[in-house]
Order: sequence, then structure tokens, then C-alpha cells
Amino acid sequence: MSRRGVVRGVLMVLGFILLLLLVWEGAKALGGDPWRFQDGSGAEVVYRPPFDWPVTSDRALPHVWTIWNALSSPVQRQQTQTLGEFLFGAALYTGREALLGFLAGAVLGVALAAIFVHSKTAERAFVPYVVASQTIPILALAPLIAFAFGNGVVGIVIVATYLTFFPVTIAALRGLAASDPRAMELMRSCAASKWAIFWKLRFPSSLPYLFSALKIAATASIVGAIVGEGNPGGSQFGLGRSILNFNEQYGSGPEKLWAAILAASLLGVTFFLIVRVVEHVVLRGRPDADMG
Amino acid sequence: MSEPLTVTPGAVRMAVPLGTRLRRQLRYNLPAIVVFFGVLIFWEVMATVLDLRQFILPRPSAIGAALIAEWPTLQKAAGNTLFEAVGGLGIGVLIGVAVAFTVARWSRAREAILPLAIGISAIPIIAVAPIMSNWFGITNPMAKMAVVVLLVFFPIMINVVRGLTEVDARAIELMRANAASDGEILRKLRLPNALPYFFTGLKVATTLCLIGAVVAEYFGGSSDVLGRVIVQSSSRLRFDVTWSAILVTAVAGIAFYLLVVAVERVVIPWHSSLRLLES
Repeated sequence: MSRRGVVRGVLMVLGFILLLLLVWEGAKALGGDPWRFQDGSGAEVVYRPPFDWPVTSDRALPHVWTIWNALSSPVQRQQTQTLGEFLFGAALYTGREALLGFLAGAVLGVALAAIFVHSKTAERAFVPYVVASQTIPILALAPLIAFAFGNGVVGIVIVATYLTFFPVTIAALRGLAASDPRAMELMRSCAASKWAIFWKLRFPSSLPYLFSALKIAATASIVGAIVGEGNPGGSQFGLGRSILNFNEQYGSGPEKLWAAILAASLLGVTFFLIVRVVEHVVLRGRPDADMG
Repeated sequence: MSEPLTVTPGAVRMAVPLGTRLRRQLRYNLPAIVVFFGVLIFWEVMATVLDLRQFILPRPSAIGAALIAEWPTLQKAAGNTLFEAVGGLGIGVLIGVAVAFTVARWSRAREAILPLAIGISAIPIIAVAPIMSNWFGITNPMAKMAVVVLLVFFPIMINVVRGLTEVDARAIELMRANAASDGEILRKLRLPNALPYFFTGLKVATTLCLIGAVVAEYFGGSSDVLGRVIVQSSSRLRFDVTWSAILVTAVAGIAFYLLVVAVERVVIPWHSSLRLLES
């Protein structure tokens, strides 16, 4: 992607965020609860929206500035830590778990694909179960995993790994099998070992496939970490726990839940962008790279 | 498709006798079947020999017994969860296809929306589940459906846009040269081209919709749903019930997926991905 393309992409995303804010506050202005603000002379004015919709009440959809202000106010009464600081710490915690799960899932996925690509029998025997494993909602396994591995980070990382390995396995299997048959012939005729063929031909040519899966896996690992933390007895820290806690306190402060969700989204986008940048560096100069 | 001389894959399939076909299928799937029973027996034997504590990993026979004992509850829960999943899938597919047609029609909109869609799909949707519960009411199935809609929308939309736009340029050229209208190009070229892409998206969406429904149930709501059965039974340490509910969820998911594959075979029997499966 050229520098201009990057600038355009950033502008487009900023434009979209602006549009979202406009729609958000537009809906509030049409059907939200009345609100007060100070006009130019400092006098207080009450704005009354023409309609009254349940979905745009202050409880269901807080004002953008309410959420923004909540970030700099204390997370609980009588605490010095602000909500913003608290969420940043929680995001770091969750991000660390997700990163571990992501790495484990990526390695596991590539390893499985490497086995499958070398043995048709193994592929036929296990791939149906790899696919079937994804019809089991991870939530269902999360309490069992937490029970088996305790309440620590290990259980949460396993949940994140479970969500990450599947897209990687499938894409790597495709990528490892998709190397140029002429290059394969050439290496075979030079008596290259399977090991050499794997590292010098199969693996490099699978990278574009691998990266499109890693981009999916990046978000999946965050979802896994959040679900893992949400377990009864999962974790005391992290975004998953915060989302559950703020959900219970929704009545007294809906903006806290919104801020936590915002933090989760930002973490997801950050992971995605990191993988995207690594992809850009690794696949530089390749004509077949899918830079979508 | 109706030209008499073309040999369609369906015709080839008919030519092979049924018995041979079944035998071939069996031989192809033999490793998977062996693994299935091997793991079951290994599990049962190990659990008995090592005397694993029942609540960590119940024996397959215990899970089977729980499945039979709890069947009325599980059946009701599965029905409710499927209702949420299928309802959400239906709404999500409708919205996804509608947006895809709009986006595909205007190329400028496409340029702007596709990168954004990728960015938005990076947001963990489950985080929105509590908000939906607050919008629609925690016991309202609509709250769960809304989560499913958000989950299935993007795979459907992105795939349909690809299908409508990644059309052989020469084919468009040919139709234009023969004075075909935009409507005709859409009906006779873009729509058939988009169908395989649509089914790819739909297959992703069918597995997502059940998972989405169960995960949304996680954040509370009526208790007659699979997600609540799983959470509640595991918190009571009745892991045999938990596993039987997991089994029901997985089987429902696989059955739903196979249903879509079957529909795909009927609707687009001409597509190359299906022919590859035959050989």
C-alpha cells in the first residue's frame, strides 16, 4: 500500500467515526431525553427533543460526552483511579492474555496444518473434528477449562487459543498446499528433503493465506480472553470482568459499560492493525499478497 | 444448463451405482470414524481405570445418561436457542444482502465501506450483548437476535459484495456488446456469480449464529436456553449435564451447517467447488 493509500484509509476511518458520532447524537437530538447546556451568554438552556424513543433514552444510549467525561472521573466513589486509567490497565491485562493465546493458537494451527498437509490419512481423520470443534460455543467449554486449570491466566489463555487455532489451521492447510507445482517439481528433482521443501517453499508461499487468517485470529483471541475472564471465578481483572461488573451497575452508570465496550473495540482494532502492519512488512514486494 | 450434450456433475453421480458410492464414501471417511470411536472408548476406559473424578470429565456413558435424563429440559432449551439463532440469522442475512446490493451498485461506496467493514469486524461483538439486553429487555429473545444479527451481518455482506462485483470483465463486455441492460446483467450474470459467494458467507454465518445466540445468553436472560443450562449446570458442578448440553449445541450446529450445504448443492450444483468434492 502506498503512503497515499494509508493516508486515505486513515481519513476514511476518521470520517466514518465522525459519521457515527453524528448519527448517534442526531438520534439523541431527535428522540432522547431532554438535556441542559449553557448557551453563549452562560445562561442555562434546556433542549427538548421532539420525540421520545426508548432506544435513545439516556439509560439506553448515553451521550457521547457523558461517556467521554466518565473516562476522567473516578471509577468508583472514593477512589483516585479514573475510569480511563482503570480501563487502560484492564485492556493491558486482557491484551496480554489474548497475545499469549494468539501466539499459542497460531503455532498450534500451523503445526496441525503441517501434519495434515503431509498425511492424507491424518487430514481425513482429524479435519472433520477441527471443523466440528467450532460448532461448540467456547462459552460452553470456558467453565470446564477454568475448572480444570484453575482461576489463573492459563485457563483464559487456553480459551483464547481455542478460538485462534481454527482459522489459522484451515488457512495454513490451504496455503501449504497451494505452492507452485513447478517449484515443487524443481525441489523434488534436486532431492530436497521434506523439511527443506516445507521451510523453503511451502511455508513462505502459505504466508499470504496465513496472514488473512491471523487477522481474523487477532480479534478472535480478544473475544476468547474476554469470554475466559467472564467465567464465574475466571479473573479479577481485565476487560471481560469489567464488562460483567459494569453490566451489573448499568442502572447507576450506563456510560461505564459503554466505555468498557469501547475499550474492548479499541483493543480489537489495535490487535488487527498490529497484524496488518506485520503482514505489510513480511509480505513487502510480493505480487500475490492480498493487502485487503 | 439444459443443453443435452453437457455432462453435469449430477449426471455423473447418477451413473455410479449407489452401493459403490456408499462404499467410496465409507472408505473416504473411515479414518474419521475410527478416530471417533477410538476416542470414545479411550475416554471411557481411561476415566474408569484412572478413576477420574466425575465432575472434571464425566465418562461418555454418564453424559449419555444425562442426555436421556435431561432430554425434556434440553429439548426446550435447544428450541428456544435455535429460535433466537435462526431469527437473528434471517434478519442478518436480509440486512446483509440489502446493504451488499447497495454497496455493489455504487463503486465509490464500495471503496469506502469494505475497509471499514474489516475494521468493524475487529470489534468483539459479544461485548455488545449486555447493551442489547438493556435495549430490548433482558428476557426478550430480540436482545439475543440482535447480537446474532451483528455477528452474521459482515460475513454475508462482504461475500455478497465480492460475488456481485468480482465478475468476469469479458462476460460483462460481451453482454454490453449485445445491448444487455444493467438489469439483465444483474439478473443473468451478477446474481448467478454471487450465489457461491453468498453460500460461503451463509456457511460461516450458520455456525456463528448458534455461537452468537449461546454467548448472548451468557449475559443473562430467561433460563430455558442452552447457554443458561450450560452456565447453571456447571456452577452446580453437574458437568454431565453441561456436557450433554454442549453435545446438543454442537449437533444442532453441525446439522444446521449440513442443511445449508444440502441447499447449496440443490441451488448451485454447477459450481466448481462442489465438483471438486465429488472427485
